[in-house]
Amino acid sequence: MSTPYRLWEVQDRSNTGPFCDENDFLPKNFSPKLKEVVKKYQIKYDPKNPVPSDDDLADRVWQAGWELFREVGLYNTDTHRIIKAGDQEIKEALYMHPGEYWVGAGKDAVLWRHRQVEDRRTPFCLFSPDCTCSEELHYSMCLAYLKEPLLDGFCAPILESSIGQRIASASPFEINGSTQHIYNLRLAAKQVGRPGTFLVAVGTAEHDSGQIAVSNNEWGVRTTDARIIGTLSEFKTANTLLNRVVHCAQYGCYAGNLTGAIYGGWCGGSEGVAVTTVAYSLNGLLNYGAIFNQHFPFHLNWGSNTTRELLWPIAVAGQALSRNSKLLYTSNGFSNAGPMTEMVFYETACHALVSTVSGWDLWEMASARNKHRNRATPLEARLGMEVGHAAARQGLTRGQANEIANRILAKYERQAADAPLGAEYQDCYHAATALPTQEHLDMYRRVKDDLAGMGIQFPY
Amino acid sequence: MSVRELQQAVEAGDKDRATALARELAAKGTDSLKIIGALTEVMGQVGEKFSRLEIFLPEMMMAGAAMSAVVELLAPQLKGRKSGEPKGRIVLGTVMGDLHEIGKNIVKLMLETQFFEVKDLGVNVDPIVFIKEAESLGAQVIGASSLMTTTMPHQEEIINLLKDKGLRGKYRVVVGGAPVNQSWAEEIGADLYCPDAGSAPRMIGELLKPS
Repeated sequence: MSTPYRLWEVQDRSNTGPFCDENDFLPKNFSPKLKEVVKKYQIKYDPKNPVPSDDDLADRVWQAGWELFREVGLYNTDTHRIIKAGDQEIKEALYMHPGEYWVGAGKDAVLWRHRQVEDRRTPFCLFSPDCTCSEELHYSMCLAYLKEPLLDGFCAPILESSIGQRIASASPFEINGSTQHIYNLRLAAKQVGRPGTFLVAVGTAEHDSGQIAVSNNEWGVRTTDARIIGTLSEFKTANTLLNRVVHCAQYGCYAGNLTGAIYGGWCGGSEGVAVTTVAYSLNGLLNYGAIFNQHFPFHLNWGSNTTRELLWPIAVAGQALSRNSKLLYTSNGFSNAGPMTEMVFYETACHALVSTVSGWDLWEMASARNKHRNRATPLEARLGMEVGHAAARQGLTRGQANEIANRILAKYERQAADAPLGAEYQDCYHAATALPTQEHLDMYRRVKDDLAGMGIQFPY
Repeated sequence: MSVRELQQAVEAGDKDRATALARELAAKGTDSLKIIGALTEVMGQVGEKFSRLEIFLPEMMMAGAAMSAVVELLAPQLKGRKSGEPKGRIVLGTVMGDLHEIGKNIVKLMLETQFFEVKDLGVNVDPIVFIKEAESLGAQVIGASSLMTTTMPHQEEIINLLKDKGLRGKYRVVVGGAPVNQSWAEEIGADLYCPDAGSAPRMIGELLKPS
C-alpha cells in the first residue's frame, strides 16, 4: 500500500467526527486519557536504565499507545471535530503496511525495511541538519551532507532567504525559496554522483502552497522522494496539513508523519512521551497515510532529547513499535550542544546507540537545539550513523547498550542546561569544498576513539 | 478553613474546593486583596516548579484554572481597587502562517497568574491584527510567538508595520518561540527576547518599569 489509508473516509471525519471545543481537547480529552493509560498499563520511568530490556514493558506501552490513539483521535482545529478510528481499522491499516519500501531512484534507491529490537541489520540513515541556513551556504551544506558515505536519505537545511529576500511562510517568497531549495538539492545530489538519492523535501516550505509548488519529477520533488507532514502538539491537525496528505497521495510521493511529543508539556513525563510517540505512529499510518513516522520527542525547556528522561521513552517507544508492528520510524536527535564541541559528538552517539538497539532507524542531527542558523554539520551526524552501524553489526544487546549509554551520558548530562553553542558550519567546514576542517576532524576522531574504548566496534 | 488551605487547593488544581474556600473566606470578611496576594504567591511557586519541570503542564494548567476561578469569583470586590489593577496589558499570539500554540499558551498562563492582563489572539495571526488589537486594548506590550523558522519573519513584520504607522515607540515588542533567539531579536529590533515561559512575567515586568 503506497497511498493513504482510506483517504476520503478519513478526510470526511474532519466534517462528521465528534465536535469538541478546542480549549477542551487537551485538558479534558488527551491529558486525562494519557494519565489513565499510563496507570492502567503500569508504565514507570526508570532513570537508571535509559535502555530498558523489558519486553513486557514495551508491549504494555504499545497497548497504551493504541488505546490512547483510539480514544483521543486527531483534532482538526479548522473544523473543531475529532478524526477517530476504531480497532478494526487500526488492525487493517497495520496489516496493510508492507514493512518495507523502496525509496529513492535508480542506483541510489534503497530498500527501507522495518527493524527488530537488537537487529543486526544496520539502521536506515537519514542525514539532516534540521536547522535554518544562510542562502550563500545552502548549496555547500547540501553538498557536504550528500558526501556522507552512510547516507541513505537526506533532508536539507531550511533556506532563510532566496535572491536576498527573506522567506516568510505562505508568501510568494516561500514558493521561490522552495524552488531554490530543491534545485540546490538536486544539483548537489547530481554533482556528488548520487542523483537518485532519497530526499525528504522541502523543509523551506512550511505552507502547503510551497510544498505543492515543487512537486515535479523532472526538476523538483520526485515521486520516489518523501514529504513530512507535521502533527501539532499534541494530536491536533489543520486543513493546511491535511491538504498535504491529499497532495502526497494524489501526486504519488511518499509521506512521513512528523511528530514531537513534548516532555513536560501535555504528555507529562517520560512515560507519557513514550505512549504518545507510539500513538503518533498509528496516527501517521491511518490519518496521514504515512509510510514512516519521524519522531523527535523533546524536552520542553531545552528543546533537546539526548538526556535520560528523553532517551528512556525513545528506547521504550522504539521497542514497542518494533515488537508489535512492521512500521518504519526514524529517531530524530536534538542535541543541546552545537557543532565542533565534544559534547555534540557524545550526545549524537548516545542518541544513535539507544535508538538503534531499540529498533529505530536514524535521523541525525539537529544540533544546538535546532535553534541557531548554520549550526549543524554532517560530522556529528556521521558519528551517530557510524555508532548505529557499529551497534547493529556487532549485535549489541539492550543491556550492553544501556551500560555504554550510561557511560556516555556521564560525559555530558550535567552540562545539558548550559551546553556550549559551538561553531557555525562555515567555521568548521570549508564552504568551497564542503569538507570539514582538520581541527573538526581531529575532534571527531578523538571522540570516536573514546567511544571505541567503551566497547563500540567501529568497522573503520 | 484558612488562606493556607486555599493556597493548597489552588496548588493541587482543585477548582471546586478552591472556589468554595474562597467564597467562605470572603463571607467571613477576609480581604479579597489578601486572598489574591496569597494566590499570586502560590502560583509563583507553582510556576517555578513548572520551570524546573518538577511538575508538568497539565498540573500547572489545573492550578491556573483554579486560581482563575477564584479571581472571577472575587472580581466584583476587586473592581476599582488600585492593587487589583494589572501589572501590564499584553496582546499575545502566534504569528501568521504558524499554527503552534503550546508555548504561547504557557506564556499566557504564566503572565495571567502574575496579574498581567493578556488578550490571546490565537494562532496564525496577521501582523496588522497584533497592532489593531494592541490599540484596542490599550496594551503596552505585543507578544509574538513563532515555532517555525519560516514564520519568524512575521515577527519582524510587526515591528516594520509599527514603524510605518508611527507607533513603534508606543509598544514594546516581545518575541519568543523554539527557533527564536537573542540574536534574531536584536536583528529585527525587538525590545525583548523571552527564552522561556517561566521568565516571561519577570522579564516583561522589568521591561515595563519606568526607566
